[in-house]
Amino acid sequence: AAPPAAAQITLRSADIHPDGYPTVEAVIYMGKLVEERTKGRVKVKVFNNRQLGEEKDTIEQTRFGVIDMNRINTAPFNNLVPATQVLGLPFLFRSVEHMHKVVDGPIGDEILKEFEPHGLVALAFYDSGARSFYTTKKQIKSLEDVKGLKIRVQQSDLWIALMQAMGANATPMPFGELYSALQTGVVDGAENNWPSYESSRHFEVSKFYTITEHSLTPEVLVMAKKSFDKLTPEDQKIVRAAAKESVAEMRRLWVAREKASEAKVREAGAVVATVDKAPFIAAMKPVYDKFVTDAKMKDLVARIQATP
Amino acid sequence: MPALIRSLGRLNGLLAALCLALSALGMIGMTFVVGWQVFARYVLNDTPSWAEPMTLQLMGWFIILGAAVGVRENFHLGLDLVQHVAPAAVGKVLDAITFVLVILFGLAMSWYSLDLAIGTWAARLPVLGIPGGWDYMPQVIGGVVIALFALERLLERLAGIEHEGIAVQELA
Amino acid sequence: MELWILFGTFTVLMFIGTPIAFCLGLSALATALYMDLPPLIVFQQINTGMNAFSMMAIPFFIFAGDLMIRGGIAEKLIHFAASLVGHLRGGLGQVNVVSATLFGGISGSAVADASAIGGLMIPQMAARGYDRDYAVNVTVNAAIIALLIPPSHNMIIYSIAAGGNLSVADLFTAGILPGLLLAAALMVTAWWVARRRGYPADPFPGWRMVGWRLLVASPGILLIFIIFGGVRSGIFTATESSCIAVIYAFLIALFVYRQLDLAGFREATYGAVRTTAMVLLVIGTAQAFGWLMALLQVPAATVKLLESITTNPTLILLLVNVALLFLGTFMDMAPMIIILTPVLLPVVMKFGVDPVHFGVILILNAGIGLNTPPVGSVLFVGCAVGKITIREAMRTIWPFFGASIAVLLLVTYIPGLSLWLPALFR
Ligand code: NA
Ligand code: NA
Repeated sequence: AAPPAAAQITLRSADIHPDGYPTVEAVIYMGKLVEERTKGRVKVKVFNNRQLGEEKDTIEQTRFGVIDMNRINTAPFNNLVPATQVLGLPFLFRSVEHMHKVVDGPIGDEILKEFEPHGLVALAFYDSGARSFYTTKKQIKSLEDVKGLKIRVQQSDLWIALMQAMGANATPMPFGELYSALQTGVVDGAENNWPSYESSRHFEVSKFYTITEHSLTPEVLVMAKKSFDKLTPEDQKIVRAAAKESVAEMRRLWVAREKASEAKVREAGAVVATVDKAPFIAAMKPVYDKFVTDAKMKDLVARIQATP
Repeated sequence: MPALIRSLGRLNGLLAALCLALSALGMIGMTFVVGWQVFARYVLNDTPSWAEPMTLQLMGWFIILGAAVGVRENFHLGLDLVQHVAPAAVGKVLDAITFVLVILFGLAMSWYSLDLAIGTWAARLPVLGIPGGWDYMPQVIGGVVIALFALERLLERLAGIEHEGIAVQELA
Repeated sequence: MELWILFGTFTVLMFIGTPIAFCLGLSALATALYMDLPPLIVFQQINTGMNAFSMMAIPFFIFAGDLMIRGGIAEKLIHFAASLVGHLRGGLGQVNVVSATLFGGISGSAVADASAIGGLMIPQMAARGYDRDYAVNVTVNAAIIALLIPPSHNMIIYSIAAGGNLSVADLFTAGILPGLLLAAALMVTAWWVARRRGYPADPFPGWRMVGWRLLVASPGILLIFIIFGGVRSGIFTATESSCIAVIYAFLIALFVYRQLDLAGFREATYGAVRTTAMVLLVIGTAQAFGWLMALLQVPAATVKLLESITTNPTLILLLVNVALLFLGTFMDMAPMIIILTPVLLPVVMKFGVDPVHFGVILILNAGIGLNTPPVGSVLFVGCAVGKITIREAMRTIWPFFGASIAVLLLVTYIPGLSLWLPALFR
């Protein structure tokens, strides 16, 4: 007779991105590590492609312990975990390396801890690259060119303020309506990273991509505290370690994906330009004034800026 | 029993009228807000960021209150195949089962939506700045109203009182 | 076992007569409880399903339809259609189809279409010696045209269910030719049946009269261009266009036709609230049901199952159509779209079907399902308006079903019918 099966746990993890996306692959990779090291006691099953809902839905599902894990941008957490707001500040990170240094170091760990009071165990930061503008009618060559453009933003106070500070007509709109809106001219442009610009096919309807790299907001992999507490201390350690190890894999895939996406959209006829960032950075002062209010956030911003 | 049904009927009648009136106001309010959004985007070149979340709040209320009224006015579509061919006594039992289940569903809706509201209270809704739990308040209230209306229908059915429904063609 | 609970509870409740919205919600709740999931997930998903921004087009288009019916806009469209095609054999049948097509250009609801056109046409047809079953069958089948001709909030629901990356403007445009094709097929069928039954034709009133009726109906016809042109040219989004339709219909009814008084406005608003609430509650509970299907990996299993049966794209599409027609007999439009899109879209896309093309196939299938008992809301409305039983209507509905299914097959196997116009506009 076969030996009795050991108690098995399958962790359900949500992701909004399609098959093969770096974040999706990274969580699958993490799952393999966990399964191997727990000798099959714990597995991870990724439900990607919005199968379990939009980001706001899956955040709630994770907090209430309906699902176990969630790979998600930090922006939708802004109004729940205020510390995450800092990570979204425009031009806060000087480069991808700078961002990695911050989130991999003590400041990153400090922010991950801030999720705990909300029923979440934050395991690791992932990348979502740098966001830049893309427009339908003409290339953005300077800050002046942004003035008066109807730019789609996420429904977030920070993003609306950021666009307004640049002089744009910030137009909040669900991501799903954006393709149509760009195609028909309801909005003049939007902003995102290379892979999103490519996979959403927005390049088909807005071909001017301007490298402003105004935001390097990282993503985060969180686990439901309820699900985490069900694991043995030994398995908890394994899960934490595997999550951290998946970060390197994620970054490797991310760089490859960014390059592939950029090549693909260039080939499809996207016109790419760079821009002098200094006037954009200078224009962001009101955003910092408005959102970096308490001492804790000021200190966090100062320490991030001071990180070499 | 008949006295109880009559007072419940009176209460529910007022409640249904109130729900419908609020829903209608919500619908009209939505029209104004979205109309304003288009106007402001073109004429003022300034898209009001509150328009979208505001209309969603209005819609949340008017749908659930309207849907609750549907339980009382019997306009939710269903399959009445078995009801047509089964003997009257069986039909009565089947209806009673449905109404009991709808009562339970309404109460569950209230209870668990309250959980959701409390759990999301700390997260502020973007732009509007109100607590995130507001998203679930229509269901907290609506669930109780659904249960009340279903209870009235259950008691009427058990007492053999004919229920005044609204026919589908009047809806469209 | 989880799947048995989900589908079993749904089926049992449906047969005992529980309203569909509650069948979906209760079976989702039962499954969540069985799986030891926090039951609040059901109510979170109901909330999500009802409150998506893009869903706002539904109340607006329904509201606009109600205002157009009560404000005289629908009536003027019928008068215009009567002057144009009333002189053909079985003229009022033709008028009915043309009116439905015109009304379909300003409304996206087949139920609204059946009650608006049917309410005005069926009594006239009966008075002129047309059999009621004929009048009802023409009405209910022509009502489906409204789903394909833009605006169509069901296309919006489909674009959401497909993950949100489909252009609504493209979906709207894709429905035009199939909608017109269906109109043509139904006109031929109406003419053929009328000839066999010996129905009369009106004399042609002359082009001056046609011109005059067109002028009187022009505010309604203009709305067709406002909605489609507005969405296509990007003056507003599909959601916004539905709101503009409400405001426009209100202003026309109030100031041009002067047929809308306070009581009429109140009735239109209340009617729209009721219909919207009914439709959106179903959408909400279908969302919860669909969420559990995703968690139980039903879509992936379906892909595997279909692939194990055949890998021939022609057969797959035939299979999908048969399955949709069968499911359409007892499923309503919105839940069908919400529940089946995530299941079937990946399948057909694997076989190279364009998602916009599949949207048209799905909507037409679900539309035909609105006229098939046991659950067929358009057929029910038509029979109620025409004062005949469903059995009487069903006895002579077959030529019209035949026409619809012929169009369905053409739309399925000639992708260009759906995809040519959107490509032209792009
Ligand atoms: Na239509
Ligand atoms: Na049907």
